[in-house]
Amino acid sequence: MKNRYAVVIIAALSALISWGLYAIFTSFPTMPQAASAQAAHVDAAWTGLLVVEGVIYAVVMAFLIYCVVAFRAAKRTEQGEKFDRSRGRFVEVGWIAGSVVLTLALAALGAHELRAIVGDAQADIDIEVRSSQFSWEFYYPKYKTFGAKLYMEKGKRHRLILTSSDVIHAFWVPEFRIKQDAVPGKAIPLIITPTKLGEYLLLCNQLCGRDHYDMQAIVEVLEHAEFEENMKAEF
Amino acid sequence: MTEFFAAVVAGVVVFLAGFLGLSGPLGPQAACVIGYLAALLVFLAVVGGAKAMRTYAMGVEPEEKHGWTRYFSFDVDHKVVGIQYTAAAVIIFLVGGVLALVMRLELARHGLQFLTPEQYVTVMSLHGITMVVVALIATAGGLGNFIVPLQIGARDMAFPRLNALSFWLLPPAVILLLASPFLGGLDFGWTAYAPLSTQGTTIGKQLFILAFVTAGFSSIFGGVNFIATVLTMRAPGMGWARVPIFTWSIIATAIIQVMGTSVVAASLIMVTFDRVLHTTFFTADLGGNVLLYQHLFWYYSHPAVYIMILPAFGAILEILPVYARKPLFAYSLVAGALMTITALSFIVWAHHMFTSGMWMLLKLPFMINTELISIPTGVVFLSVMGTLWKAKLRLDSPLLWALAMVANFLIGGLTGIPLADAPTDLHLHDTWFIVAHFHFTIMGGAVFGFFAGFHHWFPKMTGRRLHESLAKLQCGLMFVGFNAVFIPLFWLGNHGMRRHVADFPAWMDPVQTFASFAALIVGASVIVFAWNVYSSLRGGAAAGDNPWEALTLEWQAASPPPHGNFKTPPVAAGHPYDYGVPS
Repeated sequence: MKNRYAVVIIAALSALISWGLYAIFTSFPTMPQAASAQAAHVDAAWTGLLVVEGVIYAVVMAFLIYCVVAFRAAKRTEQGEKFDRSRGRFVEVGWIAGSVVLTLALAALGAHELRAIVGDAQADIDIEVRSSQFSWEFYYPKYKTFGAKLYMEKGKRHRLILTSSDVIHAFWVPEFRIKQDAVPGKAIPLIITPTKLGEYLLLCNQLCGRDHYDMQAIVEVLEHAEFEENMKAEF
Repeated sequence: MTEFFAAVVAGVVVFLAGFLGLSGPLGPQAACVIGYLAALLVFLAVVGGAKAMRTYAMGVEPEEKHGWTRYFSFDVDHKVVGIQYTAAAVIIFLVGGVLALVMRLELARHGLQFLTPEQYVTVMSLHGITMVVVALIATAGGLGNFIVPLQIGARDMAFPRLNALSFWLLPPAVILLLASPFLGGLDFGWTAYAPLSTQGTTIGKQLFILAFVTAGFSSIFGGVNFIATVLTMRAPGMGWARVPIFTWSIIATAIIQVMGTSVVAASLIMVTFDRVLHTTFFTADLGGNVLLYQHLFWYYSHPAVYIMILPAFGAILEILPVYARKPLFAYSLVAGALMTITALSFIVWAHHMFTSGMWMLLKLPFMINTELISIPTGVVFLSVMGTLWKAKLRLDSPLLWALAMVANFLIGGLTGIPLADAPTDLHLHDTWFIVAHFHFTIMGGAVFGFFAGFHHWFPKMTGRRLHESLAKLQCGLMFVGFNAVFIPLFWLGNHGMRRHVADFPAWMDPVQTFASFAALIVGASVIVFAWNVYSSLRGGAAAGDNPWEALTLEWQAASPPPHGNFKTPPVAAGHPYDYGVPS
């Protein structure tokens, strides 16, 4: 194989691997459905990383595959070529400059989306989320009602105030994306804006002991009227 | 051999005597701690520590031992310690691997199969901690102890007795870990987060903590020894620009071991105080701080992953030029990159805590610091790619392992970025995405890197060749099996599969079953490995001093090297990777 075609072959191979990754990622969606306003920002950050990293993966793998195929020794006596020092230095500086720029760009994207997720502290509805081994309890201060199922209202900003009475637990609804630990001795707020009606599963996401696997609760996102009705019914 | 069994028996007897005698007045927790400390000292004394101190005080040179029984003794030869570490790592790897297969069987379909949730959490915790020990000791402890003194042309380590001590602290730790499931089990993973770890009165939890601290001391002693050895005992002519890259990686590792381990030991001793003396370091109601534990724990335990991966980087970078028959590309830059990773590793720990409820504004610096590590890691890849370019590759088994490691670690490294990136980590944290990620770095990176180094240096360590075809078969099986197990787990994690759980929704069944079958392929590859080592040790071809035609100093010694290593003290006459012809 002639090395003068190396760039073309590696580029073609990179394109092929990238296309393969694209096909896989589109036929098996990489994230579950997004059901909160915050999820959109997480998914934006995720998609950005997926594209950049997919291309990096494809180029590096293409390079490695080309090398292994093209540079095999026919005889054990064959020796490789020493490289030209000055060209080597040029490659080193270019590589580092490129990786610095790329890293800072990814960090900037991350910081931007993080800011959007955190947002401001304003919320329409406060809910106290009380966790203990191995169950959840939800208290709605405005309605002075509580229960084992979390009701949320579509389109409203909810401030979940997470507390724990024993060990660390964590609040996670995969469709809402963002998660937060509930830590003994702290009341930690988590802002979530549900955007889709339906039932979801809340999972404890911090190992909390023997029955951690079973520490779950149902989350139901409702329209305004139904939500109000439920609050009264519970009361 | 007799010392070893005598030491185990004496240790167990002292522990039981202390435990049974004291648990009446002091309670089982305190009795367990005091009994263990006494048993540990007795074990170390009987196994050979007392004799080593006596001969040292009298100014007697340590005696040279012969035969296979020396591997069960307090032998101070770095080559014996290296083989002890390597063999211990392989044995613990088999134990951890069996635990992994037990988990994969349980996880083959939804619902609970044959384990109770309690048993599952115990098995998972033990798999975690045993494999952490393997990853910490296999390359740095095993290959490092054997190869580094040879590679720098030294007769032995700087502190041979300390070296033996650092190995002999490990067996008590492993015995404690393996005993813990029978004494109440564990329910806190390998991270032992407070307050889950300060609550509950089972002895098993306390044993885990004591084992962790013991292994930590072993690691600190090893690190001190490596730093002193490389600083003071390099052969004439070996300036810093001629230090082999594997030795560079071990220096970087040793710095982390010395600087970080004491902090995690402190956090676990605080847990012990909370359990035994009823202090309240981690009890929120009584003025303690729960997050303090996580900060102290990850201050060490993130750098600890570099204790696992840096020696693996060093091993594959050491191997590539030999089989590529050309110099290591960007040698000085990559040596600097290893040291840069070491420095950065201490300012990234809180990326494990993005969801912990720590101060919000801390997320940003920790996110950026962590992502900066991808720059020196990228330099490692640059060095790999530059070395392969226009090479004349000899596709021997060590090179295949190294290439497999690079392919795995590429995935491991890239999937680390979404975990360092705070917004995506809020979703991915504590899911199977992170499980797959760290298996790609630690199993795919550190363990594959260990196997690369193992196949490269086995002829030097034993004087015999491994069967090349079996080595390639193992590499292929393990690469395919490993990727088949863990690639689907990324996807499952994103879709809601949590860590640490024995049960999951039924729709995950096809993927989980697939992963369980693929795990059997990994298991088969380990059987091939065991058979290869066994049969090669018994009847492998003689290796000769330098089967791979390598230039570093260890290949100038005989295979296996005699006591004192070199007949005449070697001189580092040129660059260690001066292969190839001028272009």
